[in-house]
Amino acid sequence: MTEHVLNPHSQQCLQALMRVWFDFERQLGRVPLLQRLERGQFSKADYCQLLLNWRQQVIEGSRWISRCASSFDRDYSDVRSTIIGHAREEHRDYEMLERDYVAAGGNLADIQTAPRNIGTEALHGFLMYRASQPNPVDLVGAMWIIEGLGQKMADNWAAQIDRATGGDGSYTRFMRYHGANDDNHMQKLYQLLNRLCQSPAQLSAIVRTARVTAKLYCLQLEETEHDYSE
Amino acid sequence: MNVYITSSGHFLPGPAINNEEIEPLLGLVHGKPSRLRRRILQSNGIQTRHYAIDANHNTTISNAGMAAKAAEHCLSSSFLGKRQIKMLSAATSQGDIVLPGFGSMLQAELGLSDIELHSSHGICSSSLMALKAAFTNLKTGEQPNALVVASELTSRLFKASRYEAAGAELDFNAEFLRWMLSDGAGALLLETQPRGKCFRIDWIRSFSHADAYPVCMSVGYPSNSPHTSWQDYASYAEAEADGALLIRQDVRLLENIVKLGVDGYLRLISEGRVQPDKIDHVLCHYSSHYFKGKIFDMMQRAGVGIAEHKWYSNLYSRGNTGCASIFIMLDEFRTSQAHQVGDTILCMVPESGRFNNAYMQLTVVEP
Repeated sequence: MTEHVLNPHSQQCLQALMRVWFDFERQLGRVPLLQRLERGQFSKADYCQLLLNWRQQVIEGSRWISRCASSFDRDYSDVRSTIIGHAREEHRDYEMLERDYVAAGGNLADIQTAPRNIGTEALHGFLMYRASQPNPVDLVGAMWIIEGLGQKMADNWAAQIDRATGGDGSYTRFMRYHGANDDNHMQKLYQLLNRLCQSPAQLSAIVRTARVTAKLYCLQLEETEHDYSE
Repeated sequence: MNVYITSSGHFLPGPAINNEEIEPLLGLVHGKPSRLRRRILQSNGIQTRHYAIDANHNTTISNAGMAAKAAEHCLSSSFLGKRQIKMLSAATSQGDIVLPGFGSMLQAELGLSDIELHSSHGICSSSLMALKAAFTNLKTGEQPNALVVASELTSRLFKASRYEAAGAELDFNAEFLRWMLSDGAGALLLETQPRGKCFRIDWIRSFSHADAYPVCMSVGYPSNSPHTSWQDYASYAEAEADGALLIRQDVRLLENIVKLGVDGYLRLISEGRVQPDKIDHVLCHYSSHYFKGKIFDMMQRAGVGIAEHKWYSNLYSRGNTGCASIFIMLDEFRTSQAHQVGDTILCMVPESGRFNNAYMQLTVVEP
């Protein structure tokens, strides 16, 4: 049930964002690495490869969020406060991810020196560009995808990875942690959506950014298995 | 050309079986009572259901036999006799025999002559697929009428001896459906002319997502190898011993039907096919009461919820009869629930087999 009333534009926007999310989940279902995870044919090496590719995005994630906060002017100071809070909570998450990588058998130097894959490059480039625009209202669409993914990691992937690799949760802490505060995060996101989506133009900008973020996120996950040394 | 549902019927075998009577009838697996039964029944909310097998595990009526009874029930309250039926479109997830198609067996059982035939194979959504084949056939003017029948006899898979033949302990996924599914058949008569107060079919649409999701409900794989078919074994006895003939639900994937069910609904809204405030009745084939709440809440969240009092289901008293459910529900709705000329009815069948979601809109008309 809806715990609070959304304005008509944000309610419509939420409906459109739900569809973008459902479509995103289907796109994820077609990524070969995730299909193997779904079937349980997923090794610790696959998991390390996933983390190795993920780390850059997590690091860059805190940067676009901070940039996004600073691009809101004083008319949006309440939004700025919310987003700064969010950025502070998450800007060192990558350290947890690195510890998981090492606990799963990876070498710290490898993950710390790995370059961004081309999907991460594109996603980061897009998000930093959007975050640099004045009052980047549309980025609530990107947050929708990334928050949703956090929930999916915590609810599904962490357990599936442990099951497939015989883990006990000791190296899936980063993924699990994302689920812990989830309800709270989603609640904040609904409030943000209600605040930022007040016109049809804002609605379509938010939905568009959510779509682009979803597509580039998938690209990043597909690229996890792309070996450029060949 | 408009297409109307001018009659309906159903058949439920034997007496209504309550929750305490299920296990004595299906049998104790390895002589032990199930530890999951209560939990699964509590969550699905089903109180009574019917089986076409008795406690000695004799089949009391075949699948084609049930389908024929439902069809005859449907014809008995129609303006048409068997000789006038031009098309038969039949659905089931598993016929009595592997080949030929279920439609052929049903045609013979019913004694229909010179008809056009269609068999639709799948799980819960196969009835709406069969209905759509008939609907489009009438819509294009190919035929003036069609009998559409959906029937399920899954209880044969739930006999204790089946599980025992597959060896040691039962896993949750193999046992789950034992407490969910039961037997029955439903039938609809389609005509290109209305007869008294009847339902006009406005549209039927489905969205399948098998490319994006793994198999969720299956018969034919052993639990540990989704690449081995029951037909790959040297003998069928070996396939059974390996558990390849058990009916399984991957419960972990099941929640996806909620999202995909709502997704299709939102698509139909944006296409302009569904107008949420115009819907007077919702007939949704949810497999379990648990999912009804989830679908309802998610529709509310999207701002396109449909008031609770507009939802109708007879799942709780008739059981989950797979593809037959939506027809049995429609038949009971038509004959027992108040509906006015001009009312809009939305039918939804989110299938978990490999995620095919089917929808249909009806309008109550009277010429």
